[in-house]
Amino acid sequence: MNIIETKNLTKTYRRFIKPEGLRGSIKSLWNREYVEKTAIKDFDFTMEEGELIGLIGPNGAGKTTLTKMFTGIIAPTSGEINVLGYYPNDLRNQFKKQYAVVMGQKSQLFYELTVNDTLRLFKEIYGLEERQFQASKAYFTELFEVKDLMDVQVRTLSLGERMKMELIAALLHSPKILFLDEPTIGLDAIAAGQIRRFLSEVNRDRKTSIILTSHYMEDIKALCSRCLVLSHGSKLYDGGTGELFERYRRNKKITVTFSIRADGIELPSYVQILKKTPDKLILQVPKERAGGILSELMHYSPVDVTVEEDEIGVVVERIYREELEETQEKNHGTKEKKAISDADGGVWE
Amino acid sequence: MMGKIKRYIKVLRELVRIRFQNLMMFRLGFFGPFFVDGSLFAVQLVVFDAVYSNVDRIGSWGRGEMILFIGTFSFINAVNMVIYFFGVNDIPAKIKSGQMDLYLTKPISPLFYITLERINPGSVPLVLMSICIIVYGAKDLGIAISGGKLAGYLIWLVFMIVLYYEMEIIIRSVPFYLVSNAKLEQLEEAGIDLCMKLPGIAFYGIYKLIFYCILPYGIMATLPVQTLLGEMSLCKAVHGLAIFMIFTGITMFIWKKGVRHYNSASS
Repeated sequence: MNIIETKNLTKTYRRFIKPEGLRGSIKSLWNREYVEKTAIKDFDFTMEEGELIGLIGPNGAGKTTLTKMFTGIIAPTSGEINVLGYYPNDLRNQFKKQYAVVMGQKSQLFYELTVNDTLRLFKEIYGLEERQFQASKAYFTELFEVKDLMDVQVRTLSLGERMKMELIAALLHSPKILFLDEPTIGLDAIAAGQIRRFLSEVNRDRKTSIILTSHYMEDIKALCSRCLVLSHGSKLYDGGTGELFERYRRNKKITVTFSIRADGIELPSYVQILKKTPDKLILQVPKERAGGILSELMHYSPVDVTVEEDEIGVVVERIYREELEETQEKNHGTKEKKAISDADGGVWE
Repeated sequence: MMGKIKRYIKVLRELVRIRFQNLMMFRLGFFGPFFVDGSLFAVQLVVFDAVYSNVDRIGSWGRGEMILFIGTFSFINAVNMVIYFFGVNDIPAKIKSGQMDLYLTKPISPLFYITLERINPGSVPLVLMSICIIVYGAKDLGIAISGGKLAGYLIWLVFMIVLYYEMEIIIRSVPFYLVSNAKLEQLEEAGIDLCMKLPGIAFYGIYKLIFYCILPYGIMATLPVQTLLGEMSLCKAVHGLAIFMIFTGITMFIWKKGVRHYNSASS
């Protein structure tokens, strides 16, 4: 069953353009110029119950705008949107009881108080029964391993601990959908890893559908079987995360250390030497040829070999660049076709 | 409906508890306002005393009526300070910073939540002092206050406290539509400052139009006091009620439209 459906969803903002200098400021007092910025353009999307979907894209791609439209914080400019059977911007309390949103840069906890204090308030806001509240709290404090921190002042918690608390506060009322906007921002690798593990368990055990917005590809790769790539408000890709990485992870980095000097090794032209010292080689090889190169290198009795995937940053850059080019080409093709058909139409007329 | 009211009462109780706990985290933060607000109030009384020791009458009102008026306006202002001023005052900052997002996603009226999350017990002594002034004024006048007059006074007081709140909401909802409301807040401050010193009966012509209809601070303490003094007429009552209802409608319209208009600051 689809819990989110959008059709031609568009959000446009109006921006004031101020001409340069004092003269421009005076002119703008009487005659204001605005430009329209399309944050989301003709966005079609469906999400099924229980899915865990990743939203990725560079800054300004429209990820946060989309999350804000899903939660009703902002209204779309045009198009259709349906979340759990509601039009989100109607801001109905019945709807708001069924989702939760966690924004990495906006806290809903009271800094001077303890998490238990905040949870008590949320219990009343969501109208939870005492038994349900206690059971939910016990489940999450155990899952997130924060039992000892519930009576500690929030402002004394580390960033990672605070994010766990934000998640507990959000999940307390057992929402059907959880919207996460950059939940691992600023966290170290260990804390980010823990958060990912917890989210995975929440999705699996509580059947909570999750939409995760993140700049960190590790989050998306570890958690989401499906992901969406956004750029300039348009959807560039919607499909399996594994397939996306398979498609864009094209090279392997091979580091080989020898006990003898490696001067005499001859390498095919498709191998790119990234670094070379007398006893060490760092190579970049197309992934389908990595096996062949490795067996060649084995003839020189290496003492150590490391094979790594393309760095995640490189892959992300490639995804954005190539998907955007592909979309632009498609659009160009459509325009050309349209121009031809218009011209044909003109002839017929 | 009853279930909804019950839930809101529970939320209010929790908000009050949280606010008290928050304030009590810092001893000076908790006790300081009692002293500061009390001192400011005393200064204000000294100013009034200095002014009215040199002025016999304002319009048809003498010293006793003026004490009653000052006590009533102080009471309305003190209730505002205790219950909603600090919460409502944060609305522009919440709109500009995008913090409003968190209020809009909770299954409760965002206005209720924002209004009552920062109650200020430090201003409770002002409420008590205002009551003392009202009682003193009534005694000074030596008028007989019937149950009906007292009930009328209290009803008008409630209406005017709500009207005061609505004026604050209207002015602080402007950032939903425009970048800043700072100048409007200054206008509000000037209006309150003037109407706290001068009763509505002192205004004529364009000033009466401004302070009775556009920035209705002129009627806020005047109408309850007139009721208590037996000076209330049907015309005044209808005007007061009409202003109350119009501003209630404007407040609801501006707030609801504002929430829909909200674009949220970018993350």
